[in-house]
Amino acid sequence: MQIFPIRPFNPPGDIPALRQQVRDLVARHESRWQLETRANPWFSFDAEFSKALGAAGLLAMNWPKAYGGHERTMLERYVVLEELLALGAPAGLHWIADRQTGPLLIRYGTEAQKRKYLPGMARGEIYACIGLSEPNAGSDLASVRTSARRTPEGWRVNGQKVWTSGAHRSHAALTLVRTEEGSERHAGLSQLMIDLDTPGVTVRPIVDMTGSHHFNEIFFDDALIPLDALVGTEGNGWKQVTAELALERSGPERYLSSHMLLVALIDAIGPDPEPGIAQLIGRLTAELWTLRQMSMSTAAKLDAGEDPVVEAAIVKDLGNAYEQALPRLVQAAVDADLAAKSDLSRLLVWLLVQSPSYSLRGGTPEVLRGIIAKGLGLR
Amino acid sequence: MSDNRQLLADMAEGLFAELSDADFAGAWPRLAEAGFSTLLVPEEKGGFGGDWVDVLAVLRLAGRNAVPAPVAEPILAHYLLARAGIDAPEGFVSIAAPGRRVPWGRHADWVVSVEDGKASLHAADACMFVEGVNPAGEPLDAVSFTGAPIASAPCDHDLAALGAFARVAQASGALEAAFALAIEHVNTRHQFGRALAKFQAVQQAMAEFSEEAAAVDAAAAGCAAALDGLDEAGFEIASAKLRTNLAIDRATPIAHRVHGAIGFTMEYALNRYTRRLMSWRSEFGNDAFWAERLGRQVAALGGKGLWLEMTARSDRLIDAA
Repeated sequence: MQIFPIRPFNPPGDIPALRQQVRDLVARHESRWQLETRANPWFSFDAEFSKALGAAGLLAMNWPKAYGGHERTMLERYVVLEELLALGAPAGLHWIADRQTGPLLIRYGTEAQKRKYLPGMARGEIYACIGLSEPNAGSDLASVRTSARRTPEGWRVNGQKVWTSGAHRSHAALTLVRTEEGSERHAGLSQLMIDLDTPGVTVRPIVDMTGSHHFNEIFFDDALIPLDALVGTEGNGWKQVTAELALERSGPERYLSSHMLLVALIDAIGPDPEPGIAQLIGRLTAELWTLRQMSMSTAAKLDAGEDPVVEAAIVKDLGNAYEQALPRLVQAAVDADLAAKSDLSRLLVWLLVQSPSYSLRGGTPEVLRGIIAKGLGLR
Repeated sequence: MSDNRQLLADMAEGLFAELSDADFAGAWPRLAEAGFSTLLVPEEKGGFGGDWVDVLAVLRLAGRNAVPAPVAEPILAHYLLARAGIDAPEGFVSIAAPGRRVPWGRHADWVVSVEDGKASLHAADACMFVEGVNPAGEPLDAVSFTGAPIASAPCDHDLAALGAFARVAQASGALEAAFALAIEHVNTRHQFGRALAKFQAVQQAMAEFSEEAAAVDAAAAGCAAALDGLDEAGFEIASAKLRTNLAIDRATPIAHRVHGAIGFTMEYALNRYTRRLMSWRSEFGNDAFWAERLGRQVAALGGKGLWLEMTARSDRLIDAA
């Protein structure tokens, strides 16, 4: 009973050339990026870069060509993602559409929905966000109360979403709503693809503790949403949402969020470090390398059609713990002047304050360990 | 898994389970007869012709069964002899990494040392041992060579690194065994009117335990693939050893915690695994040793160079597949 059987990561094609393509593209754009923009890169925005990725065929890589995709493999896409993150390229604008919303539409959407959204997403021009959490329904997503009532004119949507990352820069929100009056928990939920410029839909910012604006509230005030905005089957929303969670949990974004700080640390201490700092770099490298093995193996399982729910939760929990610990370990080991303007100091301060968010997004350690315990048959 | 590897694993599993209560004198002849020592020796030289993934499979099982006899050491010794072109002698050959004690040294008929780019085969009567034991009670003997080696030949292998890989592989099995004991215990032991497993705090601790065992499995597999596919696997071995040590640090306390006092008795099997894990943490290099070595290697690569090197190495393994 091996807990984490390994599947080799064997993407087709010329992988070094694919990496070089990403590295060259990043090199052409990076002069305009602030240091802070490059840290936690899948939460940083640059529309011009997102479009450049689309034009280079590096978005929607495994989607059908009919919808603007490139019919390459998930594993080639994985290589592009890990390069973008490790190089600190702001990839946040298109991230959710490319990772989650697009694939979900391909699987469950109508032909009209696919035509409407996918080609723009593939070009890096249409962005999406995920309307899940609500006031009083954070980790417990099934207690959704936002309602959608079917009328001859369309869905009448009322309620509120919260903690919606990137809604202020998104064109549409794939929103989990209660379509069956009086239903409870996982039953009676459906997904609507709601254009955020619809009358009655209001997006309001929530400024986070870093001073940044990523989170939003979305208010639905009797908004009239076309009937054909229903994605998949009415009442099947919970299943559709959870089916994609393994995709979300095991990616390289779960351990590379602080990578630019490790890069800065290595550069700051130079080629002949004192033993204590050398040891810290060695230990961090060991964790980084192991997490990459685990994440690649999980990607290979997903690519092979397996459903590695437990493995994905393990990758996310260990990965978040590593990327969260990195800033405080650097702070503990290096006598960095937090008020200084050096690269190391700026990244350290920025990521120290960012890092509590890592284990919130996509499930807390307690939620993930609950999933693992279930997989182990303990609950 | 290839058919050969499955056969090998089945044979190892059966034999190791039988040997778990044996002593050296009882276990060694059985191990020698089974032929594990020549696992990495090419078939044309009379060996099994296996690869490092095979070695991982066997050593993982050795760790899982807490085999009280040397399995890893003769595999590495015969590998080095074959690589150096030195004819392998009959009997138990152990290994001497520079400045380190020889596992099971007092029982060895021969010792292979690697130092300064040279592998040497020493007869037991040219070895003086100062006997010692590791925390698991296994022989760990300091050696000084009192006579000339039987044979020497150039060898660019890093014996400490190969030894570290062996301990990673054994640790992956020992952690699985400790985990299986803990799962069994929390599912069957009732306290406060219910099984321990029904307490959320215990579930969370066991989930954490499984994560650590998973990390060692991944590290060990990545390491074996690198040993098979790259010219040298120093980067991967250092990483895997450090990650394994971290896992031992985190997982063994959980194993003991969920067992309570039962797990602290000599009678109960848990200590067979945890005492070995405690020892393996520093055999063939402790955290400081590997962390400083890896850290210096990475510092020389530079900040961006780390990613370039790591991806270039794993991309070469894609080509090898």
